[in-house]
Amino acid sequence: MSEFEAYRGLFVAESRENHENLVKNLLLLELGSYQDAIDEIFRSIHTLKGASASMGFANMEHLCHSMEDVFQLIRSGTAEISPELVNLLLACSDLIEQMLDDVEAGGDSSSKNPAEQVNALKEWIEQRGGTIKAKTEVPVIPTEAQPPEEPARDIRTENCVEYGMQITVASECIMKDVRAMLALGNLKSVGTILSMNPTMEAIDEGKFDGRLELVIASDAGEEALKTAASGTEITEVVISPVKKPDVVTANEVPGSLKKTETDKKQSQAPDKTREIKNLRVDIHQLDHIMNLVEDLVINRGRLKQIAEQHKIKEMDEAIGMVDRSVSELQNLMMIIRMIPLNQIFNRLPRVVRDVAQYDGKDVDFFIEGGETELDRSVMDGLNDPLLHLIRNAVNHGIESPDSREKAGKPRKGYVKLSAHRDRDNVIIELIDDGAGINVDKVKAKGIERGLISAEVAETFTTEQAIDLLFQPGFSTADKISDISGRGVGLDVVKRSIEALKGTIRVETNPGKGSRFELLLPPTMAIVDVMIVRINDKRFGIPISSIVEVANFKRDETHQIGKGEAILLRDEVLQILWLNEMVGVSKSCEILIVVQYQKRKCCIPVDVVEGKQEVVVKPLSGFIGNTRGVSGVTILGDGGVVPVIDVNTIV
Amino acid sequence: MGKILIVDDTLFMRTLLKNILFSGGHTIAGEAGDGEEGIAKYKELKPDLVTMDIVMPKLNGIEALKAIKEFDPAARIVMCTAVGQEQMVKLAIKSGAKGYIIKPFQAPKVLEEVKNVLAS
Repeated sequence: MSEFEAYRGLFVAESRENHENLVKNLLLLELGSYQDAIDEIFRSIHTLKGASASMGFANMEHLCHSMEDVFQLIRSGTAEISPELVNLLLACSDLIEQMLDDVEAGGDSSSKNPAEQVNALKEWIEQRGGTIKAKTEVPVIPTEAQPPEEPARDIRTENCVEYGMQITVASECIMKDVRAMLALGNLKSVGTILSMNPTMEAIDEGKFDGRLELVIASDAGEEALKTAASGTEITEVVISPVKKPDVVTANEVPGSLKKTETDKKQSQAPDKTREIKNLRVDIHQLDHIMNLVEDLVINRGRLKQIAEQHKIKEMDEAIGMVDRSVSELQNLMMIIRMIPLNQIFNRLPRVVRDVAQYDGKDVDFFIEGGETELDRSVMDGLNDPLLHLIRNAVNHGIESPDSREKAGKPRKGYVKLSAHRDRDNVIIELIDDGAGINVDKVKAKGIERGLISAEVAETFTTEQAIDLLFQPGFSTADKISDISGRGVGLDVVKRSIEALKGTIRVETNPGKGSRFELLLPPTMAIVDVMIVRINDKRFGIPISSIVEVANFKRDETHQIGKGEAILLRDEVLQILWLNEMVGVSKSCEILIVVQYQKRKCCIPVDVVEGKQEVVVKPLSGFIGNTRGVSGVTILGDGGVVPVIDVNTIV
Repeated sequence: MGKILIVDDTLFMRTLLKNILFSGGHTIAGEAGDGEEGIAKYKELKPDLVTMDIVMPKLNGIEALKAIKEFDPAARIVMCTAVGQEQMVKLAIKSGAKGYIIKPFQAPKVLEEVKNVLAS
């Protein structure tokens, strides 16, 4: 195994692609798209099988092999595609995925026993009365295309000698008949085969025990014939003339002359080295490079300051050059880290299918804009919320075929997931043509859960009612199903999206369907912040959460309970002193009004220094979660500045 | 020792094969990920030998073999195959393939076959 360690990463990465392709095409197969899908399935399972065999992962190879048998029956038209069969094959695919997880974690797939799946596959084949016809391959290639025979050698019969030959193929050879054919092919290029035992047809059908006898007429000489018949896994070639030749000339083996010619040609040909267009990079290495680039950005700032302080003009110019390269490098790194949304979108048709089947629903699922790119860090956090929303759409949104028919809709539901870039944001949209959100039911549930009182519920607008959906512990599902309400509610979805600095919006039209819109920044690594100063200490406040910067008049504040508030543009805003962090400042003159969702409050600061694009680094593990601070950034002068997390302090 | 073109749709297999061939002192003329690319690379690189996978997207190994043989009847092509693909390999040999190697690859067997085919 150890010799294969080097290939483990590559094996996992490529096998995952093949697994994904397998699942995708299984779903297409179920939908009735036949030829292309089955070809793709074959290619994927074949590759998975071959690769796992090469790595010595016996369990995985065994499973792939059994699946291949079933696919053969499907391709030959012996088997019908049923939902049960697709279920079984998908279950097998799931196991392959688990095996890949195991392999990725350093295992060898032996911890995953495929016996259950393999038996189910066998049982299925037996039910079809199908025996896996001793590997009858369904040819991918149309057989009528008779290959051009190797041009037979022009035999000048007068010089020809007839020889009897016995060729023995090694007993351990896996494809003895193929070896025999190779030997025959080579012999045909130096002579004419007059008779043979077994016959060519028999060998073609695989009827060959390893020993071939033949009579050949040739003018090439014994040695040349022996060479032609010899080869890999040929253990013995016995040759003897049958008829005495009139003239025996030991000609050169025609092949060898040709070779020197081609050799000459090759040495003249320019030696073009292969151009490598793509390469795989470990994501951790990429993260490391990103960190280094960030350090470079910070140090560039320090150098700039030093040059300014000491007024060194040449250094200033040199730094200017470095500056440009660093900026470009930073941009490039951002681009490299972008990956297409298809990375997660591609898994979703399977989810829709499973949920629909479980719920007895019929759904057409469409995906658009999967090529839209997002930073890897955003992508990582997007998978679970998206999965949840999709499950929700099918589980809670789309009605059963019967109720849809009653409502005058097509029996098949419609779910569409699309993504596009809109200026600085990526917008992901999930539309369904289901029942929409039942506002009354939501309100009733809200009252039942004690989230709102009956009186307040009366006054709620649709929008406010929908907001309830995002409250922790809210679920409108009558019972917790296996599919969506796994204890995770929309509140978690919302929090996950917000953790990505994104927002979620819902529109609903009773009876017509719902629309969920996720607005995401394409990257999280660089944030626009306002640098402020309180008590001579600097802070960053994300521009995205700032709504206003106003003058602060100390005498206009009011004490409300324990807190302090101020009346600004007819709004009472709570004042949030950052005393705990920076100590009491007497010279606050500016108010920064920040907003999270619909809650606003204001932070008094001494000075606003300006706006800056910064790289926010999360606090390391041992500091733990610090309420109010999302991370720190290092400014050009080397100063470490905390960035305020508005969401947790408002 | 020869200049070899590897045609296989998976990077994994190509890498595996490449390292085996390197260990046998061969040089890699190039790699191709499907049959079409294989044909183009053959015409461009004129390798001494081609290892050709059978099941590939776009154009499978048999079709690619035929096209290469048509372009250069002297082309030495070794098919990469697996147990169960006997019929395919036979078809390939009738179309002019000079040898075959079986997955999972065993380095000594691969090198022996490559050596023999190069010598033919």
